[in-house]
Amino acid sequence: MWPLGRWRPGVAFFISSFLISISATGIIFIFLIVESFPIFQHEGLGFLSGSEWYPGEVYGALPMIYGTGIVTFIAVSFALPLALGSAVITSEVLSRPTRLVIKMMMELLAGIPGVVYGLLGITLLTTAVKNTFNLIDGNSFFTAGILLSIMILPTVMTLSEDALRSVPKEYRDQALALGLNRSETIFHAVLPGAIKGIAGAVLLGIGRAMGETISVMLVIGSLDRIPQPFYNIFTTGQTITSKLGREGAEALGVGYHWNALAGLGLILFLAVMGITFIGNSIVGPLSGRGINTKRKQKKR
Amino acid sequence: MRRDLKEVIFFSACIITTVTAISLLFIILSAILVRGLPAINLEFLTTESKEFGQNGGILYQTMGTFILIGMAGILAFPIALGSAVYQTEYLSLSLRGTADLLVYALNAVPTIIFGLFGYMFFGVFLKLGVSWLTGSFILAIMVLPTVLVSIKEAIESIPFKYLEAGLALGLTQERLVRAVIIPQSIHGMVTGLLLGLARAAGETAAIMFTATTFSGVLLPASFREPVTSLQTHILILAQEAINPRALTNAWGAALVLVALIMLMSLGSMLIRATITHEAER
Repeated sequence: MWPLGRWRPGVAFFISSFLISISATGIIFIFLIVESFPIFQHEGLGFLSGSEWYPGEVYGALPMIYGTGIVTFIAVSFALPLALGSAVITSEVLSRPTRLVIKMMMELLAGIPGVVYGLLGITLLTTAVKNTFNLIDGNSFFTAGILLSIMILPTVMTLSEDALRSVPKEYRDQALALGLNRSETIFHAVLPGAIKGIAGAVLLGIGRAMGETISVMLVIGSLDRIPQPFYNIFTTGQTITSKLGREGAEALGVGYHWNALAGLGLILFLAVMGITFIGNSIVGPLSGRGINTKRKQKKR
Repeated sequence: MRRDLKEVIFFSACIITTVTAISLLFIILSAILVRGLPAINLEFLTTESKEFGQNGGILYQTMGTFILIGMAGILAFPIALGSAVYQTEYLSLSLRGTADLLVYALNAVPTIIFGLFGYMFFGVFLKLGVSWLTGSFILAIMVLPTVLVSIKEAIESIPFKYLEAGLALGLTQERLVRAVIIPQSIHGMVTGLLLGLARAAGETAAIMFTATTFSGVLLPASFREPVTSLQTHILILAQEAINPRALTNAWGAALVLVALIMLMSLGSMLIRATITHEAER
């Protein structure tokens, strides 16, 4: 039936789509290395440690690296307690229908685009931050961190809840039978079994927070500097993504400025990939986590 | 007594965080509704924007978003399907974990990097320039893992009996794929595609300097022309936050975009909730 014997068009199509799917990340990685190579030649390691960035003269990535780090840290510090607390209540206390409604809401909220969060941030959050902390400018690391914490809340909460639910019911029954009360059961029987999944959820949340561009770009103020003192998070700053978003269009493909942006992209790529990889490995056998809502799967 | 106290403290803390989380989410939804609804009327939805978005509607922005995500879906779907079938039916077991990891890695790539890469690859190398096709290619790569994983999960949940029945009839692997695996995983394709389109519709960073322009274009007449989109429209208007009219229109556009995305995710949830295999009933 097929002129080429075993080499069938159907299989060829499957193989080629498979190759596209698995090689895309690698191609992007190589692209970033090639495009950023000139800046590492030009600036050396000073690219990573320099804190001055003037297109055409000097490129130092430190303020952006600092910004991404601190904003992500703020986002996780606020999102984690909220996500964990609500995951415990949702998984251990609420009835099944209520739980499903909450999870559905979370899934819907995870779909709200970054640009809409940015609009919320620029109209509501910046003013609120400005008035609460008596600032001249509501755009700051803190504002961006809070906005990101709201954005990653559904992801971290849903995945932590999945982790709590995956602990067998027998563990809870045994703990209760031993006379532990409900909070002790959660601490000593449920959490130890779910801790890996929760860690994975947090790491995937960190990965999302680091890579988010638009909403951060709108509320961070876009000034390349490390605040003085360095823990002063109520000043305007810059993250890697907001830098790429602001200057990407003007520098596309041209000169050291472009190479420097590609270098920033490479740093971000490596950080996010590392964190996501660890996250996916501890969450265990991969199955839709962090992409679609997890479904029960049958072993085949 | 101390144990009871701990119990009370723990649960109160949990309840406070839950209430905070849920009210945050309600605040967000109601803010979008309250600010967006006044902007929306038939004229807003069906006319083009004027005076850089301060007046007029969002007709061409909405169409631009549809063009971008529609083409992205058309491009991503066959690749996702082919790859899902290969990964579940042909790939040797020992390599499946690695393949999964690579697909998940693609899902984690920050979207702004897709924008940088996509512009250089499709825009410059393939000479498509700043155009809607460049944007669709970028979005297609971006949503590929979402669609792929959904189809893969659907294939993996096909009851083994079905495959046994097929094999007992003497079907070759390729016939089995065509007669059993693809027809039985259609729900996964639909949900995956809906989720993928929803994700693409919400994406701004990857297309803002690769596929769209702010104003002055209506519908593209060729592959190499940019479009306007709801996402970038909101972005530009948001940056003029001091102008109340621009802001009202931004909220209107945001509500339309959020409604569009939520409809697609709700659709996928409904399909996922109702599907059961005949053999499991």
